[in-house]
Amino acid sequence: MRLRPDAQDIFAGVMFIAFAAFMLHLTFESLPIGTARRMGSGYMPMLTFGILGALGVAILLGGLFSGPQPIGRFAWRDMGLILLALTVYGLTVERLGFVVSLVLCIGIASLAEKVWKPLRVLGLIAFMLVLCWVLFIWYLDIRIPVFPWSR
Amino acid sequence: MLEHLIYGFTVAATFQNLSACFVGALLGTAIGVLPGIGPVATISLLLPLTFGMPPTTAIIMLAGIYYGAQYGGSTTSILMNLPGEVSSVITTLDGYQMAKNGQAGPALAVAAIGSFFAGCTATVLVAALGPLLTAVALSFGPADYFSLMLLGLIVSAVLSEGNVVKSIAMMVAGVGLGLVGTDVQTGQQRFTFNIPELSDGIGFAPMAMGMFGIAEIIRNLEMPEVREALKTKISRLWLTKEEWRRVAAPILRGTTLGSVVGILPGGGAALSSMGAYTLERRISRNKHLFGKGAIEGVAAPESANNAAAQTSFIPLLTLGIPANAVMALMVGALIIQGIQPGPRMIEAQPDLFWGLIASMWIGNLMLVIINLPMIGMWVRLLKVPYDLLYPAILIFCAIGVYSLQNNSFDVYVTVVFGFLGYLFSKIGCPPAPMLIGFVLGPMMEEHLRRAMLLARGNPMVFIERPISATLLALAVIAVAAMTLPSIRRGKDQALAGG
Repeated sequence: MRLRPDAQDIFAGVMFIAFAAFMLHLTFESLPIGTARRMGSGYMPMLTFGILGALGVAILLGGLFSGPQPIGRFAWRDMGLILLALTVYGLTVERLGFVVSLVLCIGIASLAEKVWKPLRVLGLIAFMLVLCWVLFIWYLDIRIPVFPWSR
Repeated sequence: MLEHLIYGFTVAATFQNLSACFVGALLGTAIGVLPGIGPVATISLLLPLTFGMPPTTAIIMLAGIYYGAQYGGSTTSILMNLPGEVSSVITTLDGYQMAKNGQAGPALAVAAIGSFFAGCTATVLVAALGPLLTAVALSFGPADYFSLMLLGLIVSAVLSEGNVVKSIAMMVAGVGLGLVGTDVQTGQQRFTFNIPELSDGIGFAPMAMGMFGIAEIIRNLEMPEVREALKTKISRLWLTKEEWRRVAAPILRGTTLGSVVGILPGGGAALSSMGAYTLERRISRNKHLFGKGAIEGVAAPESANNAAAQTSFIPLLTLGIPANAVMALMVGALIIQGIQPGPRMIEAQPDLFWGLIASMWIGNLMLVIINLPMIGMWVRLLKVPYDLLYPAILIFCAIGVYSLQNNSFDVYVTVVFGFLGYLFSKIGCPPAPMLIGFVLGPMMEEHLRRAMLLARGNPMVFIERPISATLLALAVIAVAAMTLPSIRRGKDQALAGG
């Protein structure tokens, strides 16, 4: 067999091996394994991550010959903005309330648009404020501070 | 069976449950019709709405959302050539061609009629098979159960798209993630890093929403927006006599095939609609029309995927084993409601079991009512541009996830799984097996422990018990079969719609 590395498989293999190794390390460090008859809390983790590690090795080795499938380009900007918008929501919802966090979340997420149109974004924010207020606060009555001062 | 069904209808026909079914089907259609959102994403998005409800109402609503989302996906496929998920890829082949030929009306009508017929038939099957399988399952010991779950996991990994080893690895990784939290038997904290929120384990809903909802948004954003809005008007939302004659047999065949495939682990909508389409194309008298707008090519797969959507509830309701990602979501929802799905459910929660079955039938009727007369509204929803859509989905996810436990931690978990879901898509690792493994992991551990305790630590028990041995043998055969190149090629072709 000729060496034809496949970036996708190699990356996946390494990822599974690293995850399994890390979790196995934690398992042996902190959890009692027990015996097959009386399993400790570490027995199932040992089995699971042991198997995962073996599968990772199989994927990695197979990936040396199954190529080539390049890993596509990462849309770092889009991904970063979406994940940032969510994180900001999580950080602000309790402190600043529903209204501010919604505006921030949609505002940040909208930056991922190809052409950023401020009026469109404002309109969307206004619409979503009303919709989410009616649905979540008024109808579902979730416990969430609405304004920065309402807690 | 009849008295049970009547009992089911009395449960399903209460005002609360009827409206849950209706609202579920309506919301499911509304969100499923939005381009680029498949049933899994729709259900995880709407999951938080059901938490305040009693279990029966919640599961009826989720089931309604599921059919609605699936049906909504067909509408998008027919009118815009934009399949929301794999199972509706097939519908685009002939459905979109019909729409281009000015036959959008009949295409939508046959999809609705086929789905309705298939749904009704499959519901009867669920009602008949459910109690039977439950009786079988109750005779299972812990070892048999463990082997059954293993078989279910392996078959669903084997049947999913792409590399089998990667699917199995994703599933095992999912089982591993399911171990995070407090060990039920010993009370010990596992992999919690002293984070109090992790002692209850990783949240199921944040994980699903991240991997299927958020990752999907990022993937859609990176693709250039190609939309062919439909110009033709939709006329005549019904079939002519000639068309009825042409679709009757395909609907029957699609229903039969879909019902069988749906029961299999890993089966479900995608595989059944592809199977039905391939079968029809091979035996139809109008072979030459396939791919150019053959009404049979819409009728068969649409019937099949709806039949499969119903019958995939069978393993869930009787064995507690989710056959696919949607059913994994249902298990998650039930567990959040404090119900452990499994063979005891039918006796312990008869209202849930029979009520759900009756509501499946009602839900299918509602789908026809919702979809055909209101098609104009759905068409307008189809045209919502994505730059207005994705921030809305994102904020829904954010508020929904936060409201699960009124805790920002779940939002951060969603962020992490959003990133992972996107990464997985880049390296060809399917996320569905991970979700199934995550749901089944804790149950597998429990059965493994009990089996080994009973067998005094002798692992031979899995081979000595005939039921368990048979199930394990099937699992081995499934893996072996998929490593044979000829079969693998066949599967890849089927999943590629070839």
